[in-house]
Amino acid sequence: MAEKTDFEPNIVAFLCNWCSYAGADLAGTSRIQYPSNVRVIRVMCSGRVNPLFVMNALQQGADGVLISGCHPGDCHYMQGNYYARRRFNLMRNFLEYLGVEPQRVRMSWVSASEGAKWKEVIEEVVNGVKEVGPMDQFKRRQLNW
Amino acid sequence: MVDVNKLREKAKEVVSRDDVRLLIGYRPGTYGFRARPAFVQGPDEADELIFTPACVNNLATYITLEEKLPVPRGQEPDLRKVAVMVKGCDSRALVQQMEEKAYDRDRILVLGIPCTGVVDMAKVEAKFPGVLQRGEIALEGDRFVLSFNGSKEEVPREELVADKCLRCRYPTPLVYDELLDEAVERFADDDYSDIAELEKRAAAEKWAYWEEKFSRCIRCYSCRNVCPMCYCEDCVLDRLQPQWMRRSVDISENTAYHVSRAYHLAGRCIQCGECQRVCPVDIPLMELNRKFYKDVEELYDYEPGTSVENPPLLSTFKVDDREDFIL
Ligand code: SF4
Ligand code: SF4
Ligand code: SF4
Repeated sequence: MAEKTDFEPNIVAFLCNWCSYAGADLAGTSRIQYPSNVRVIRVMCSGRVNPLFVMNALQQGADGVLISGCHPGDCHYMQGNYYARRRFNLMRNFLEYLGVEPQRVRMSWVSASEGAKWKEVIEEVVNGVKEVGPMDQFKRRQLNW
Repeated sequence: MVDVNKLREKAKEVVSRDDVRLLIGYRPGTYGFRARPAFVQGPDEADELIFTPACVNNLATYITLEEKLPVPRGQEPDLRKVAVMVKGCDSRALVQQMEEKAYDRDRILVLGIPCTGVVDMAKVEAKFPGVLQRGEIALEGDRFVLSFNGSKEEVPREELVADKCLRCRYPTPLVYDELLDEAVERFADDDYSDIAELEKRAAAEKWAYWEEKFSRCIRCYSCRNVCPMCYCEDCVLDRLQPQWMRRSVDISENTAYHVSRAYHLAGRCIQCGECQRVCPVDIPLMELNRKFYKDVEELYDYEPGTSVENPPLLSTFKVDDREDFIL
């Protein structure tokens, strides 16, 4: 399918302030090149990410969503990422059950020193979403009044 | 099945108590085989109470509604107990509500009814269309006996019983102050075969299936309103700031609605089936709830509404929870 190969997905990434955001920042300051498909939303903790944020991003035209936080044990708030992990696991299974390909909604642990890992994560997410194509299912369509 | 005279005697005794404000039970509906909730405030009203396989409602819902009543300024809230009749599945709603600390245990008085199954009214009405006079349903052995218009019909239990009863793990209430009958042994179990079948389909096929279902939703919110676990005073579905879901009835907003509703019940839904029962457009909501129910059991070995001591699933974690899906 020709359109799929040209397809550049929109990825919304929720990054925790203390690890993943700093990790992405490090990738930037280290001049590590990674795909520009990601729109970053900084949150204070991955535990702040309400599953509705994911739903809402998909409704507003994201083709994929990434949630990223500190490695287990490293959370600035001690345990926010553990809660996020449970929530996300259920969310991921549920969306898959509704027919949303599992490549579209991902989670990762990226620490503040892992600029190189950030690049790999983004490449993996972007390639995964490219494989499955644009996400149309939940998209909110503009009403033409 | 509970002896109705004994039930009424007990009810009279209970509502006569000084520390009880109200008893919530069942009474015959106005037509057909239906039963409806009864709010008994005095001993004289207790004579209308019944318990039959037509008593499908989950009365635990009304407990939380009672909790929410606004108190006029200058008036003290009425802190007397609310008594409620519960079947096995309904009792789990109470357990889950208490697990979440929705109210104190001593605010309610629970009359437990060991249950052998209720009917699915849609199945009854398909079989006996247009019964307008009041009729009665009783379970005798493995057959439902339906009396109406002066005649009697017998139907095998499997034909009319609600689907949830075919996989009922807790027919005897898990919480009660008094049990109104002998405990019933577990007669069924849940193998989740319906969910497993859906899980196996291809992504596009799944979405086609759900798109058709969701597109039928008229967003009447009955499924939320009837749910005993949906008792937040400030519901995300009603919020305007931020507005998570627009009010328009289209596939995007409807999907958002269904994802939110089902997700908010993850690890909380106790499988009473009320949401699906009240849906006017027959959306199989239990297939959404049961997906979470299954996952929660498989992943976290957790069954909602079974122990008051259990902390709610999503407000706890284990350090070694699964994480092989994380990049
Ligand atoms: S699910 Fe169990 S407790 Fe609930 S109505 Fe059916 S048989 Fe009774
Ligand atoms: S979601 Fe449905 S089955 Fe679950 S508790 Fe609420 S009404 Fe009962
Ligand atoms: S009861 Fe049915 S139609 Fe009404 S909001 Fe729920 S799913 Fe939609």
